[in-house]
Amino acid sequence: MLGLVLLAFVLVVVAFPGLFTGHSPLTVNVDKALEAPSSAHLFGTDDVGRDVLARVVHGARITLSICASALVLAAVIGGALGLFSGFVGGRIDMLLGRLVDVILSFPPIIFGVMVTGILGPKTLNLVFALTVVYVPLFFRIARSGAMSEAGMTYVEAARSLGLSQSRILLRHVVRNVLPIVLVQCMVLFPLVLQIQAALGFLGLGVQPPTPDWGAILQQGKDYILLAPWMSAFPGLAILITALALTLVGRGLQRRMDRR
Amino acid sequence: MSSSDIFGVMDRRTLLALGGFAAAAAIIGPAGATDLYGPKGSGAKSGGTLNMGLLVEPPGLDPFHQAADARIRLTVLIYQGLFYESPDGTAMPLLAEGFDLSSDRLVYTIRLRKGVKFHTGQPMTAKDVAYSYNYIRDAKNGSPGAGDFAMITAIEAVDDATVKITISAPNAALPMTLGNKYGGVVPAGYFDAADAKTKLNQASVGTGPFKLSEFKPNSNATLVRNPDYWEPGVPYLDRINFVFVPNAASLLVGLRNKRIDIATLSRPQDVKQVEGVAGLVIERKPSFNQKAIDLGAELKPLDDERVRRAIALAVDKDEIMRASIGGLGNTIGTMVAGMQESWGAPLDKLPNQKVDIAAAKKLLAEAGHPDGFELTLTSIIGYDWMDAAAVTLREQLAKIGIKLAIQRVELGVWVKNFQSKQMGFTFNDWATVPDPNLLFYRHFHKAPEGADFRNWKNDAASALLDEGRVESDPAKRREIYIRYQQAMAESVPTIMLFSADHVVVRADKVKNYDQHPTGWYYGLARAWIA
Amino acid sequence: MPFWRGCSRRQGLKDAESMGAYIVKRLAALVVTALLTSVVVFLLVRSVPGDVVGQMLGQTSDPVAAKALREFFGLDQPVWQQYLGWLGRVITGDFGTSWTRGQPVLGMVGSALAVTVQLAFATLLLATLIGVPLGILAAIYEGRMLDRLIQCFNLLGLAAPVFWIGLMLLFGVSTGFDWSPPLMYVPPSEALGENLSIMALPVLSLALLQAAAYSQFVRQNIVSALGQDYVRTAIAKGLPVRSIFFTHLLRNIAIPLVTFMGLILIQILGGAVIIESLFALPGLGRLLLSSIETRDYPVLQAGLLVVVVIAMLVNLVVDLSYRIIDPRVQLS
Repeated sequence: MLGLVLLAFVLVVVAFPGLFTGHSPLTVNVDKALEAPSSAHLFGTDDVGRDVLARVVHGARITLSICASALVLAAVIGGALGLFSGFVGGRIDMLLGRLVDVILSFPPIIFGVMVTGILGPKTLNLVFALTVVYVPLFFRIARSGAMSEAGMTYVEAARSLGLSQSRILLRHVVRNVLPIVLVQCMVLFPLVLQIQAALGFLGLGVQPPTPDWGAILQQGKDYILLAPWMSAFPGLAILITALALTLVGRGLQRRMDRR
Repeated sequence: MSSSDIFGVMDRRTLLALGGFAAAAAIIGPAGATDLYGPKGSGAKSGGTLNMGLLVEPPGLDPFHQAADARIRLTVLIYQGLFYESPDGTAMPLLAEGFDLSSDRLVYTIRLRKGVKFHTGQPMTAKDVAYSYNYIRDAKNGSPGAGDFAMITAIEAVDDATVKITISAPNAALPMTLGNKYGGVVPAGYFDAADAKTKLNQASVGTGPFKLSEFKPNSNATLVRNPDYWEPGVPYLDRINFVFVPNAASLLVGLRNKRIDIATLSRPQDVKQVEGVAGLVIERKPSFNQKAIDLGAELKPLDDERVRRAIALAVDKDEIMRASIGGLGNTIGTMVAGMQESWGAPLDKLPNQKVDIAAAKKLLAEAGHPDGFELTLTSIIGYDWMDAAAVTLREQLAKIGIKLAIQRVELGVWVKNFQSKQMGFTFNDWATVPDPNLLFYRHFHKAPEGADFRNWKNDAASALLDEGRVESDPAKRREIYIRYQQAMAESVPTIMLFSADHVVVRADKVKNYDQHPTGWYYGLARAWIA
Repeated sequence: MPFWRGCSRRQGLKDAESMGAYIVKRLAALVVTALLTSVVVFLLVRSVPGDVVGQMLGQTSDPVAAKALREFFGLDQPVWQQYLGWLGRVITGDFGTSWTRGQPVLGMVGSALAVTVQLAFATLLLATLIGVPLGILAAIYEGRMLDRLIQCFNLLGLAAPVFWIGLMLLFGVSTGFDWSPPLMYVPPSEALGENLSIMALPVLSLALLQAAAYSQFVRQNIVSALGQDYVRTAIAKGLPVRSIFFTHLLRNIAIPLVTFMGLILIQILGGAVIIESLFALPGLGRLLLSSIETRDYPVLQAGLLVVVVIAMLVNLVVDLSYRIIDPRVQLS
């Protein structure tokens, strides 16, 4: 319940940032740099005098849409590959399995650093890097799903009825594996959020002046003794969002387990 | 040994040969500035370990092949060249004792200091000096310094204590070129060993006051006192631990809690976070560095001088400086702050220095961009001042209709673009040794003599750079460089924004550390712990 | 289904004899994967623009000097030739010398690994010590106040970004107690006390998250086990609670717990970059990051290979430990 309320709140922030702040997240005002939280600036100001609340609120949409699109992409690509691999089996399955092993044992942050280095610092490339990191997990889930489903009687039955491979795959297996993948998305979201923020923390996130929680934290960390509000609030935003998603994801999982 | 001792061993002729240089410096330079490495401490105590925090880890400690400033800062304590870059702009004899200059100003006969030993224990002779400089000037050996030595045609050992250097054209900056930025004197034949290049990161073979003891990646570099050092009585410190702290937050916390004794802050405004902490002393020193906007002419429409001028007219240097380093520096025109007095063109004699939005808009309209255009600014990840500067610049350029996108790239990528002359519109951060030839020539002279990284291709300015290099009369030389700077300000291949002060934070037990304006840690050769 | 269950791989094993065969098979697969990794890594690191020579020459680059240095490092050769040369040397155990440090690569990776392994195991230990008891307590008091409190801790621990916790800890400890960890790393063999004071904050920052994950995990498993038939039967038979707990429950959660520990270990090995840089620890993550920055390919290649191989070894040990914990387990 709490989870749903929090999630609803986060979604409202994403949809209507203007409700929460009248300040622009971009306007620089050097004379008002590093002001402590006050009634004019509830979360204080940053090193070039921008309103931290405005940056956090407007950053929600950017940060969360990056994470969400990376997850959806990873689920689609990883899921499809996993289903395919599990169903086809044999050499292809082995090869894909090994490849996924390699990616999975790669340290995700180092991987992100290299990919954004290779492709250049574009938001799209950040999404891509995050996607690649999470493809293996969805691959595995979908593959094991496909393999266990492949042995199920209904698939056998469908096959004996003469339905083609691809139709079996689509109709039955997808329908049974999809909910698992969806719940995984919710469960994984906080993790993606962490890695995204970590990349932003290393300076590899969204390009300035666009607000992004990881990037705000990165700017804030150097002012930790002077202006702790610069890093405290974006961190709290990540915490609350992750909390909401975890709670909702867990609720969904419980419902599924019961089914 | 005080300054008078050093000059005492030189005869009159040498002093004259140094050019009016030394004389000019005596007028400009602050009192005591002629001491090698800074003044010796009174009541200095020997011994003790100093922990210095470094935000930027040197990518290597090889003075011959590694150009990074983070490397130079440390290795000037380990390796020595023939001359020392005195903060006032003179080249003071270091491993040299003095020199004679032939009447055609092409042959330098340099007398070497006696009794100098390498860290390996063997004595230094003219053969070693000739070997070291011959190694560095041959570009095939892969030294970034090679370009600075291109005008040297021969270096020979005359006898054990004399070296003869022949150059192709008179060069007023030669002694300064034989300084400590690249290379240093090492034993003859050192690079014959296949692994010599990488080995310099583990064992030092220089003549400097400190020897390398260990260099652990991501942890520390430790120097120990050179017991055979040729200057009597110095250095005072037994040991220096350079501790690599990869972020300002931890560095400041470490300073606050006395985990480190001294640090220079790359972003001077960080100083506010340790102000008023008991037992910490904060000092500000002018610097030879510059934070700049470079305008690569290969990127359209920056090939149009009117566009470049318009950008210069829209830039409020002071606001950018306040935003990015909290105002702890000096805005500059065309010369780094520490050399403004000796070499800089007076700001009121330079065009395109004051913000003038109307004039900028007019120029843009003339150039065919009445509504402005879109432009991408490159900044470098890890150079913290650039982040704040970028968003501030974005707002300033918006006033003349230029829509600025910001892209932050990793340093290695940035360097690659820079080297291949594809820098575009970018922030830059670099420092110089105190001579205008060494500051400008390589960066701004047209190719092939200079590297002309910004594709400026300016004949008139290049001619002035050639003139300035040959001229030995300091007053005339200054005049030439002022004309050069006016040409640069007019055509805007670069917009020098400001020089950030060196801010040294030290525990009060650390005495007599004098920060050299280059940012190099020469001062540690004179520092001591109470 | 939690995601880590999808990650466990069990392969055919009918009796003790085939255990050996199984290990051999897994090791063979490991070698293949390692080879594959080395190719991927080799291509990947060379696709990042710029190289060590560019980094060395910086803003004073000279084309002749650059060419000479590229030849010195062998960067002028075709990539496949560079790869084969490197592979040939690696097979004979020669990982080469760092291009920027002049030290043997193996030694550099080894000492960085030692730091990260210490970090990982200390985190694991602390997380277990906090997380497992909390999880058991929460399960025993399911639905009551204590359970709720522990669940709160779990949720917050899981939701907070690790580096943010680290930053806030550093800030809090420094301003609150006028203390901060020493910045120059000392291995435990040299000075244990100093080492522990260096490691305390980074371990705590990492362990909070892991403890929350643990506690959550243990609670879930015990609660679901309590609902299982065999436990109900045992309770109905009147067996003492303690004996049920130790004979049935612990064994039942041991297997997923081991998987879980392995996963955490792998996560910290490559993923502690930010905590390592925040607390100036010379660990493997930071070594990898700095060798990307300097384009020190020999170090980067060896370091990444080590991370990947260790991750696979940990997985193997985890799978094997299933059988040791519960001989009934069929590794299929």
